[in-house]
Amino acid sequence: CSTDELDQSPISDLGANGFYSNTEEFEIAINGAYSTLRFFPDTQFHLQEVRSDNMYAITETGVRPFEPVNNLDNSIATNTYLSDVWDTNFEGILRVNTILESLNDNVVSDQATRERMEGEAKFLRAFFYFDLVKTFGKVPLIDQVYTPAQTLEIGRSDVSEIYNLIVSDLNAAISLLPPSFSGNQLGKATSWAAKAMLGKVYLTKSGPTYGIEGPGLNSGEYNLAIDLFDDVINNGPFDYEDDYATIFDYDNENNSEIIFDIQYNSGAEVGADYPSITVPDAYLRANGAGFTNGEDNKRVSEDLINSYDLLDVRDDVTIIDGYTDENNIFNDVTFYGKYIDLNFKGRDRFDWGLNYPVIRYTDVQLMRAEAILMSNTGRQTDVDTPVNFIRTRAGLVGNLANVDIDGLLAEKRLEFAGENTRWADLVRTGKVVQVMNAWITNDDVSGKIATMKEDFVIYPVPSNQITVKEGLYQQNEGYN
Amino acid sequence: YSQQKTITGTVLDSSSLPMIGVNIVIKGTNSGTATDFDGNYSILVSEGQTLVYSYLGYETKERLIGSSTTYNLTMKASSTDLDEVIVVGYGSQKKGDITSSVASMKTDLLDQRPVAAVDQAMVGQMAGVRVVQTSGVPGQGFNVQVRGAGSISASNQPLYVIDGFPIDQQTQSTSGGYGSGNPLDNISPNDIESIQVLKDAAAAAIYGSRASNGVVLITTKKGKSGAPVINFNTYVGVNKTVKKLDVLSSEEWIERASEAIDYNWVNSVTDGSRNANQTSAEREAILGSFNRNFIKDDRWAMPGHPGLEFVDWQDELFRTGLVKNYQISARGGTDNIKYYVGADHLNKEGVAIGLGYKRYSARANVEVSPNDKLTFGVNLAPSYSIASNPGVEGKDQQLHLAVSATPVNEDGVDYNTGDNTVYTWGASRPSPVRYVQNTTGDTKLFRTLATMFGKYEVIPGLEVKSSLNFDNSDSSYKFFTPGFTDRNRTASARHRTYRRQSFVNENTVTYNNTFDDKHDLNLLAGGSYSTYKFDEQRIQSAGGFATDYITTLNAANGINQGGTYTSETKRVLMSYFGRAQYSYDDRYLLTASIRRDGSSNFGKDTKWGTFPSASLGWKINNEEFMKTQNVFRDLKLRASWGVAGNNGVGDYASIATMGISNYSLGGSSMPGQVPSNSANADLSWETAETYDIGLDVGVLNNRIYASLDYYVKTNSDLLLNVPVPTSSGFGSAVTNIGEVQNKGWELELTTRNFTGDFNWTTNINLSSNQNEVKKLGPDNSPIYGGSFDIQHNVLQVGLPMYTLFLVQRDGILSQEDIDNGYPTLGNQSAGDHKYVDFDGNGSIGPEDRQLSGDPNPDLLWSVNNTFKYKGFDLSVLVQGQQGGLIYSTFGRAINRTSMGFVENTVGRARDRWRSAESPGAGVEGKVNGSFGRIKNTDWLYSSDYWRIRNITLGYDLGAILKSKSIKGLRVYVTMENWFGGDKYSGGFNPEAVNSSGDDYGGFPLSRSIISGLNFTF
Repeated sequence: CSTDELDQSPISDLGANGFYSNTEEFEIAINGAYSTLRFFPDTQFHLQEVRSDNMYAITETGVRPFEPVNNLDNSIATNTYLSDVWDTNFEGILRVNTILESLNDNVVSDQATRERMEGEAKFLRAFFYFDLVKTFGKVPLIDQVYTPAQTLEIGRSDVSEIYNLIVSDLNAAISLLPPSFSGNQLGKATSWAAKAMLGKVYLTKSGPTYGIEGPGLNSGEYNLAIDLFDDVINNGPFDYEDDYATIFDYDNENNSEIIFDIQYNSGAEVGADYPSITVPDAYLRANGAGFTNGEDNKRVSEDLINSYDLLDVRDDVTIIDGYTDENNIFNDVTFYGKYIDLNFKGRDRFDWGLNYPVIRYTDVQLMRAEAILMSNTGRQTDVDTPVNFIRTRAGLVGNLANVDIDGLLAEKRLEFAGENTRWADLVRTGKVVQVMNAWITNDDVSGKIATMKEDFVIYPVPSNQITVKEGLYQQNEGYN
Repeated sequence: YSQQKTITGTVLDSSSLPMIGVNIVIKGTNSGTATDFDGNYSILVSEGQTLVYSYLGYETKERLIGSSTTYNLTMKASSTDLDEVIVVGYGSQKKGDITSSVASMKTDLLDQRPVAAVDQAMVGQMAGVRVVQTSGVPGQGFNVQVRGAGSISASNQPLYVIDGFPIDQQTQSTSGGYGSGNPLDNISPNDIESIQVLKDAAAAAIYGSRASNGVVLITTKKGKSGAPVINFNTYVGVNKTVKKLDVLSSEEWIERASEAIDYNWVNSVTDGSRNANQTSAEREAILGSFNRNFIKDDRWAMPGHPGLEFVDWQDELFRTGLVKNYQISARGGTDNIKYYVGADHLNKEGVAIGLGYKRYSARANVEVSPNDKLTFGVNLAPSYSIASNPGVEGKDQQLHLAVSATPVNEDGVDYNTGDNTVYTWGASRPSPVRYVQNTTGDTKLFRTLATMFGKYEVIPGLEVKSSLNFDNSDSSYKFFTPGFTDRNRTASARHRTYRRQSFVNENTVTYNNTFDDKHDLNLLAGGSYSTYKFDEQRIQSAGGFATDYITTLNAANGINQGGTYTSETKRVLMSYFGRAQYSYDDRYLLTASIRRDGSSNFGKDTKWGTFPSASLGWKINNEEFMKTQNVFRDLKLRASWGVAGNNGVGDYASIATMGISNYSLGGSSMPGQVPSNSANADLSWETAETYDIGLDVGVLNNRIYASLDYYVKTNSDLLLNVPVPTSSGFGSAVTNIGEVQNKGWELELTTRNFTGDFNWTTNINLSSNQNEVKKLGPDNSPIYGGSFDIQHNVLQVGLPMYTLFLVQRDGILSQEDIDNGYPTLGNQSAGDHKYVDFDGNGSIGPEDRQLSGDPNPDLLWSVNNTFKYKGFDLSVLVQGQQGGLIYSTFGRAINRTSMGFVENTVGRARDRWRSAESPGAGVEGKVNGSFGRIKNTDWLYSSDYWRIRNITLGYDLGAILKSKSIKGLRVYVTMENWFGGDKYSGGFNPEAVNSSGDDYGGFPLSRSIISGLNFTF
């Protein structure tokens, strides 16, 4: 026996050393980078929707981790949703940084392919960092592969530096990515997706600062956002769906509204969990789903329900008003059912096949309207027209004119309820403190929600990151 | 033969009196002589031959014949224990000559007690060897810890060596189980001759990079020259659970649920218009719909509660199980061939329905010596076992569900199965009783242990030995649960098989000699080569089954891809080792050893490690100045130092690997690969350095014998899974960093209180171990841990491992507290639990956690008394521990804060706070608490316990029945775990650890009454 035998390599896993050596392996690595997005909708729901005035997610028992998020609790640094966002995004950043560092013409010789791959990696890195900066404000800037020991020396960078990376990555993606994909690449990020994304980044960056190191820098770049949204609207291959319900139809994926979505498929271990998390366990049981999800009821707020006009078709698409349980007793509760279609249930709660829209055409239209109103530049018809379009599509009668920012937010709320945009919309427009406190006063009958403060615009850094090395990261103001 | 000559000599005893009739034989022959009345002898021998001197009650001595013609010697009375030869690594040594710390277990009665497994037999037998029964599920392995836990992320289990064969080490999972096989699987205790535990590094370091957690040497029975002796042992008995958890009765549950619902109803409006006296119909009319949180079941208050069934779920789940064992063996031999053959069958029904363990095993140990110099042999032990466990232990498993299940429903034990639906006021999980009755969870294990060896005496004293060892385990696990007892009415199944193979080749040379009658020398050199392979296959169903009647996966509607795969791993270990043992004049003893280990698990820059040790002994009683005293029969001082390693890091942990992470594109699953760990080319063994000082004392002719040890064991360069900033893309990285120290003392005391007709012996074992974290990762940042919600334990420099980190509970909030602004958790009100605002910020939150003690017990003790009178024998083993804590995440699950009325809860809820006037016992708050949860001391318990592990009363009928054919017949009765006490009301077993240091529903131990028969003919 020779001592060479002491060099054993894994039999059932790929060793990383030999990987990243040819085009096929890079395709596989890029698929792996996209797979980081799989549970993105889950954290968005818990941190963007539950936190907003759209939901009153109070249980009878008060022991579920979404409740302190809902309640504006200042002791949530230990909350698992926060470590999910932090960890998952940095995991994705490592995946794309590894690709970007290994990618060169020796391993992927075809230039178009190589550029597309670089564009995809940069789009995804921007996507991960945008989520991080919206959630936590300052975060460590990791633009190359660092060893764990090296990251112990990297503190949080200023928000503006993070934006610099996001903007340069998205600009690169715009120039490197193709305008469309087809076949077994359908669903990847296109140059249009990068443009819409960059517009949203400028919109967010231009928002108010609230006196915190959050996503808004009051940077006055609304014109850049408007230009990008104009480009997407005027030159892109997108359009409104005529029927609101079909946007979320399991049989109508990759429809004309979709600019970028997260893709899922049932029956192949690449399914979605997010449709399940909004509905109570007993609803699935009563409907013979064949699986349960262990979720409590997370109520849609009275205020949101009362905001829907009787004629509005979006109410029925978005919200389930109670259900009859196994013992034929009617449970008078409200919850989101926007993404649930029991005819398309998978094998378990993680196996829903519906793609999750990240940016859809209507959103780009309404973001352009928002940029116009926030910057006082541009045409009021570009505000009123999309608002009236979605009202009409929803079955409402009568057009609005001279829609202001409050009117826009009210209409967008009805259109995008359950799509996890509400909190960011309120933050960007500077309305979040005022709107939340007014709503809490009205709706919080049991007095569980704390007063909204500027500090709560962003979340605390996960406590397990604070404790890794004392003093490496400072906790955000307002949290302990 | 060289030329023969006559030699003469005198044999004296230690008082220099001549010994008459000492038997002297030339080794390997039948020729010999005996001493005369003056102790003199003469015999014709050749140079190079060896004389063997023996005399009953004295130590046997050997002398190699050289050129001299006179060989005088002094024989020493054997002091039973000390003369006993015990197995040490790669050899054996007289117990009296041992200079390191070795615990030895008396196993002569092992086949005369109903012991199901080897680890069970070790409970309470050796000081410093903590054998923890974390689970009462039959067939489940025990947790064995030698001198505390020194490793944080790597294994803390000792290395097991069976008849010289080092068994592949397996890491015990955080749930306490051995997912890929326990080294002691299927080993029948009836075949065991002896068990030794090498506790300090000086003893264990000869096993190098695997020895830091101690080494357990197990020797199986060998043949002996003489007529065949046939043994037939059997026992039969019953066992039942040691404990049933105190939960609310059905009536108490109704009373609590009624209180909760009335409270909800009355407080659902603020205008005072709703009161508890309103009937269900009135409430429903007011509400306009039904709501179980506001409306009670009217039948609760009716006499005889028509249509409702009251169920005590624990009574339904637990049962009295039958235990049976049969064993037959034969041992015997001639000078040329010696054999031991045995067969064994155990059938143990568990204390809950569906649980059971069956084992069939056989062993053949055969040695052939064609001549004086050559011996070769085979040890072969095939075995087969079936462990049945439909899933009773742990979080959300059936025992947990049985404890929490609503004790009132409409369908009894058929609750929510088949067409039966959930009771409106009840929990949603189906009947745990029907579930376990209909669920298959069988692990079948076929294991073969085989050793082939040959040894050859090249010249007298010089022996070469070679062995080939093979351990093959084939395991298959089948799980099937039918649709009708599943909460989703969906059948599911999974199968898992694995094959674990170890191959070990060891080659040694030993040299033994005595020079000038005073210098005893024993040298060992050797090399070893081992490979370990593990192949695993899994398959899992998806989407239910076509029918409940076919339990194999061909009937599954689909296959779960994530749960269906095969995988293989392999590792290689190469070693060289040597040892010298020297003793001068039976007074000064010295041992030194060294081992070099090369392992494929280590990083490419650190493949080889060196593990040295040295130990000294001074037999003070053999000094000249001690000759005149007669208090100390034995007095030996020992000191040792050594370095051992721990290579318990996962296969390939030093290499960067990719993991599968697929993504859906274009409507189908596309393959994805992502980096899954960070490489560490410097990854190497964990180093454990031990200093040990010991004293062995025998007084009053060894009627009292004590062994005392003090040790300091420092594990450094820990294989620590250090949390790193996840900005690196990884949550943790395995790094050689950190240090943990264990220090403590051990006392083994044996007193022979009475000898003679009435014989009474007492063995007492005491040990105390202090554990302290000395260094951690970069900057010594504390590492927090503990699953389910916020973290609740901490590794911190200066504290014992896994010190608990909890908010302190302080009784119940009064209205006065609320009025005075006492800090609350969320919007608490009077009657809710009161917590200590440690950081003084005016509210209760995770920042109020405080250090709250640690799980490591301060004192482990056991007392074993054995009595013999004529044919009767009685032994009583009492053992226990003191000074440790247990955190019960199970206790938390069954008695959550603000848990509502649906599930059943623990007995302390009886004395809950009902109102300021009726505040109860001050522990359980009001039924309608509606504040958030926080990890607090509510679920922290003392793990102190005492237990009479075993009482055995036997009677030997041999004296009555004695005949030519029957050599012995003993009957006995044993009570196992029948008496005991603990302070743990948050779970079933104060030693349970099945969730990273916590108890999440550890299964209770069994207590049994068993009667047996030992028949020798």
